[in-house]
Amino acid sequence: MSRRELAACGLVLASAAVPARAASYLFYFELQGVAGYSTAAKNVVYSSMNAMETMQKPSLGFDYVQRFSGASGDIAILAVQGRLAYDPDGDPKVEPQLYNAYLKFKTRALDIWVGHNRPKFGLSASLDNHATLLQPMAMSGFGFDRDWGLGFERDFADGSLGLSVTTGSGMSLRLKNSYLVAGRVTRGVLERDNSVIGLSAALGRTLDVMGYHLMSEVPVSFAMGGFDFTWLTNSWENRIELLGGSRDGASAFALFWRTGIGLLPENRLKLEAQPVAIIAKGKTRVQFAAGATYLAGADWTFRVMYAYDQDLKDSRFIVQVYYYKGIRF
Amino acid sequence: MMSRVAAWFLAILFTVGPLAAAVGCELNDPDRDVKRLFPESTGYRTLYVSIAQKGGDALLRKIEARLGDSFKGLFETADVPYTMYQILKGKDVIGYIHGVNQKGQYGGVQVVLALDLEGTIRAFYFQKLTSQYAKLLRDPEFGKPFVGLNLLDFDQYDVATQTAKPGSKIAAIKNPAPQAEEDFRAALRAAKKNLILCDIFLLGGKFVK
Repeated sequence: MSRRELAACGLVLASAAVPARAASYLFYFELQGVAGYSTAAKNVVYSSMNAMETMQKPSLGFDYVQRFSGASGDIAILAVQGRLAYDPDGDPKVEPQLYNAYLKFKTRALDIWVGHNRPKFGLSASLDNHATLLQPMAMSGFGFDRDWGLGFERDFADGSLGLSVTTGSGMSLRLKNSYLVAGRVTRGVLERDNSVIGLSAALGRTLDVMGYHLMSEVPVSFAMGGFDFTWLTNSWENRIELLGGSRDGASAFALFWRTGIGLLPENRLKLEAQPVAIIAKGKTRVQFAAGATYLAGADWTFRVMYAYDQDLKDSRFIVQVYYYKGIRF
Repeated sequence: MMSRVAAWFLAILFTVGPLAAAVGCELNDPDRDVKRLFPESTGYRTLYVSIAQKGGDALLRKIEARLGDSFKGLFETADVPYTMYQILKGKDVIGYIHGVNQKGQYGGVQVVLALDLEGTIRAFYFQKLTSQYAKLLRDPEFGKPFVGLNLLDFDQYDVATQTAKPGSKIAAIKNPAPQAEEDFRAALRAAKKNLILCDIFLLGGKFVK
């Protein structure tokens, strides 16, 4: 080892001895184990949804938020969130996944983000589903959980307004003449008012994808409107979403309801049920999921889920062990 | 080669320490909230701090002693990162905003304080409160008696016995919703805890006894 490298190592170690001060970043290490049984596969499965979808699988990941400030205050936020997911039947077996990967600039008028983020469409735009087993409609073909592009956001005293222009390709950045323009306006601030009403609209030509897998090279038309309502009271949470429009030239509608109750001190135990009805291409598809989440401590969460899909004739029982730990450098 | 890799690995390893999974209370929308609480402000700076970084278990014991109660639950560990906001007018700091999580009647509540540079409460409000009586506790009239108080005033409130010294300014704060007594007590505990944390992380221990 050279003297220069030795000195550099020493500096790194010395930095750890400097009295800790306020930080401008958060960094979390994430680890999860997912396993269950599928009646359709008649076998043990290691994914909460179809294995081609991204969430949830056994994985190792991180979550990083860095704030940039100048003399006059905060200027921008960088958010990067990634995983290495393991699928024993996949090819390859280990899949790198990138979720948040955006830079958000703060201006006086609005916030502007560039990168991989949530498109401004429906409840999926505001629900944090990164670790959960129950998933919103974006994971059932009604929009994208994440997409590449840019967006604009502005919060008002009684609500918010958001617009995104993205590639319509989901997890992967693909430029195949696809695009998605989405907008969402909300009335109410959930934490303050305990209720929010949202109206969304999206228009574009999107790629048919499942996670990182491209199902078709040809973009399909996508025109959708949506209404959603979230209501909290005491320990109850209710979320309802109505989506309707057309996809690939055929009409598509969805009704989503998620209800949940928090139990035990600090709502450490949460029980949820989520019935969904989808009418697409003249065919009705019913999905039902129910789950329990237990916060065992500041770092450990245990989840279980039962999910039934009428179309796939599949009942899925899933168990998840989730670890999320902050790291400081 | 292996010794080089091992040395770098060890160097990095020793600089890494646990922080926390649970994140402290952040403002719903800092742009909107800062402007509402400090209309004269021109910007704000967000800081992440934790008891573990500042002084570890020894500091935690001091905080608990000042609070008069032990830290417990998901959001009361030494390594939970607190999100604090320095409020700016031009390049000058004119105040602070900080919110804390607190166990309430129906899960958690979040109590936010806006402070001036002296650590005096300029505004108090619940950010998160899902109780059916939330409207009464969110009423600006409920927050008014908190304005002008500081940590010395809250020393007159015994968190463990949930009693305020008769005749004190804390005793003058009345619960507008008797059915939500647990959330009312949570508000007082959260306010005191919040002031202690602000004193340590933002005011340089101005009120340390």
